[in-house]
Amino acid sequence: MMATPVPTADLPNKITVRNLDFFYGDHRALKDVTIGLPTNRVTAFIGPSGCGKSTLLRVLNRMYDLYPKQRAEGEVLLDGENILDPRVDLNLLRARVGMVFQKPTPFPMSIYDNIAFGIRLYEKLSKSALNQRVEDALRGAALWDEVKDKLHMSGLGLSGGQQQRLCIARSVAIQPEVILFDEPCSALDPISTAKVEELIDELSERYTIAIVTHNMQQAVRVSDYTAFMYLGELVEFGETDAVFANPREKRTQDYITGRFG
Amino acid sequence: MTATQPVLEKSGARGPAKEGPMADIAWSNMPADAAQTDRARVLKKLGLHDALFRKLTFSAAIVVLLLLGGVILSLVQGSLPAIKAFGFGFLTSQAWNPVSEIFGATPAIYGTVVTSLIAMMLAVPVGLGVAVFLTELCPHPLRRPIGMAIELLAGIPSIIYGIWGLFMLAPFLQQYAQPALISAFADVPVLSTLFAGPPYGIGIMTAGLILGVMVLPFIASISRDVFDTVPPVLKEAASGVGCTTWEVVRHVVLPYTKTGVIGGVMLGLGRALGETMAVTFVIGNAHKISGSLIAPGTTISATIANEFTEAVGDVYTSALIELGLILFVITFFVLAFARLLLTRIERKEGA
Amino acid sequence: MSLYYKRRNVNATATMLCWGAAIFSLSWLVMILGALVFEGAKGLSLDVFTQNTPPPGSAGGLLNAMAGSLIMTVMGVVVGAPLGMLAGTYMAEYGRHSKLTVVIRFINDILLSAPSIVIGLFVYTVLVARMGHFSAVAGVAALSILVIPIVLRTTEDMLLLLPGSLREAASALGLPRSYLIQRVAYRAAKSGLVTGLLLAVARVSGETAPLLFTSLNNQFWSLDLNAPMASLPVVIFQFALSPYKDWQQLAWTGALLVTATVLVLSIIARALSRQRTYK
Repeated sequence: MMATPVPTADLPNKITVRNLDFFYGDHRALKDVTIGLPTNRVTAFIGPSGCGKSTLLRVLNRMYDLYPKQRAEGEVLLDGENILDPRVDLNLLRARVGMVFQKPTPFPMSIYDNIAFGIRLYEKLSKSALNQRVEDALRGAALWDEVKDKLHMSGLGLSGGQQQRLCIARSVAIQPEVILFDEPCSALDPISTAKVEELIDELSERYTIAIVTHNMQQAVRVSDYTAFMYLGELVEFGETDAVFANPREKRTQDYITGRFG
Repeated sequence: MTATQPVLEKSGARGPAKEGPMADIAWSNMPADAAQTDRARVLKKLGLHDALFRKLTFSAAIVVLLLLGGVILSLVQGSLPAIKAFGFGFLTSQAWNPVSEIFGATPAIYGTVVTSLIAMMLAVPVGLGVAVFLTELCPHPLRRPIGMAIELLAGIPSIIYGIWGLFMLAPFLQQYAQPALISAFADVPVLSTLFAGPPYGIGIMTAGLILGVMVLPFIASISRDVFDTVPPVLKEAASGVGCTTWEVVRHVVLPYTKTGVIGGVMLGLGRALGETMAVTFVIGNAHKISGSLIAPGTTISATIANEFTEAVGDVYTSALIELGLILFVITFFVLAFARLLLTRIERKEGA
Repeated sequence: MSLYYKRRNVNATATMLCWGAAIFSLSWLVMILGALVFEGAKGLSLDVFTQNTPPPGSAGGLLNAMAGSLIMTVMGVVVGAPLGMLAGTYMAEYGRHSKLTVVIRFINDILLSAPSIVIGLFVYTVLVARMGHFSAVAGVAALSILVIPIVLRTTEDMLLLLPGSLREAASALGLPRSYLIQRVAYRAAKSGLVTGLLLAVARVSGETAPLLFTSLNNQFWSLDLNAPMASLPVVIFQFALSPYKDWQQLAWTGALLVTATVLVLSIIARALSRQRTYK
């Protein structure tokens, strides 16, 4: 009944989730989820509110560890290594699996420091090399031209769309392998949204990307694969155009044609 | 499920020739694995720092815990000689004789309780009035400055209240207010006892008055904060059916904030009970219980402040420390009760 | 109709009483500040800042008392503030969901309003009685115990106010918790933390009761931390209750100085707390 992951020779899965259950206290929010995220592709997660798509995303970098009474059972393999293992170094994991949030979350420091902060933590670089890395990251987030003259102004002074791209640049700067987007455009205007979507498209050259979205058009525009979730279960998973053009499950069809959700 | 490359339009456009902004990014030359181990090493060092900082903050938290334990323990230990000497009788004895080393706490406890009660009789109605004024009546541009002025009243150090009470308020009371009260109530049964004796100016009533003015701003600002938690729609609904401002306060705001207001009042009471300097100046320091409110008396804290440095002999010192212990126990329960109520209203606000 | 008039009259009376309460409270502030300025300014002269406290019946200044207050307040804050801040950090960050935090929060609230004279007694039995003499060190200890709960409370409150998303974002970058706290959270909560610190200084600089039998008083210029030390509040207490006019005048002047310091500090603190760096 469940769709199988996509195991292929030329497209190995960067992340493989097997039989994942997730609990908020006694409430079971994910039920036996099995899915694979193909390397350097964009996978979108859609479904009505509370279906568990954000929860799944937060398992992938173990963000849930910040909170008590939340636990995951099953297996999540990143390059074959189970990240649910309690011995996994969370900070190392999160440096490999970056995340961009619903609301922009710039740190209360200058634009430059927002980017340089994470780099400095991991690497000792000369000033010019650091400058280069900051510039690269900002260019990578298509923000450089807008901020290059005010790098030392507070990141909080940027517009919402710029802040979100600053956050993307911040993630990119520490060179992760996977980037998780949790409804990255829900707080943005259409023009900023278009810019971020374009950016996601470009980032997928380098990174494996998972994106949670409420907006089905967005899923169509940015993703290669789409997973539809409902009530904590993975209902359907496949190539995006196949899922949208030809859903195999009735629930998927009902959702994408707007009959519920 | 098909296992082929997705054939979406957008992925079709993707190819090696494509030049995005990402293409000119200069990646670090390190191979991925080397970068990983490097990061792991850095993170290990950071992890150590993290563990250290965590332990540091934890120890600080424990120190705070131990402080309160230490306060109680040291007070109990310090009072042991007096407890041994007088036992339970300490609480009921009126004696206070440093020469023969016989001490009793009743006058001090009596003074503490009575001055605090007088203070609350003044501070509760006025404080609540100020809070209502600030939340409902005050013209908007004046709200902040007046609110700030009330908070400044709370910020004035207690010794200032003391010196002001001694040099300004006490002479005024002695010359005008107390003689008037004495003659006015001379023929009224109960009140003539309450206002009997010569007008000293200083005494239980003066101390209570000063205390009242001191705790008034506390009660006012806590009540104001509590009143602010009332959802505006409740008040609007009441006004909508034609309630006057007073009826809105009386029937919507006060019932809604009851626990919080009582918590604020208890907090004020806790302050009044423990206040030292303002009282010490104007209480008169007399170790006796007098039926008259204008007679000199003493409170626990004033006794300690006045006599501790001059106390000679273990029993005298210990008796004073036991007074401190009694004060601490009383305020502990009052404050704990206050916090309990205030926490409850905070939770209501959060929900 | 008569019911309507009755209701209107009740409302008018209540309104008047509330206005009266506000005017009554403000008039105390005016009376107290007025008396302070009037009486205190009479004794203001250069001598106040250059001479030490005089023996009975002669003129002098408050130099040693001011120095003592400054030293003990600064040291009390230097000792107490980091402790309070670290403990508050533990409660808001590492121990946010632990039982210990609930207990400490309760205890801290008690310490926050506990009678300061009891803190003086505590320090007396623990330090003064053991050392055998009064000393500035004991005064510093007493003041720092008063500083801790204030700083702890504001630190915890400020850190709890920070949006959880900021915390998640930092940890999503792989930042260890301590970096998140030190580089991001403290920075975002900066104005609040400074407010707490100022309030603590304001509170402590007017405190008298806990100094009475810890640092005692010292008529002479002394910077020895192991010896009794003068402080403005204790000098005010002693001089105001004395029968000498000169001393009483100095007490008023000292009172003016202390009040001015405390009020300026609290006004700055409140102004700061209004401008939040983070929403």
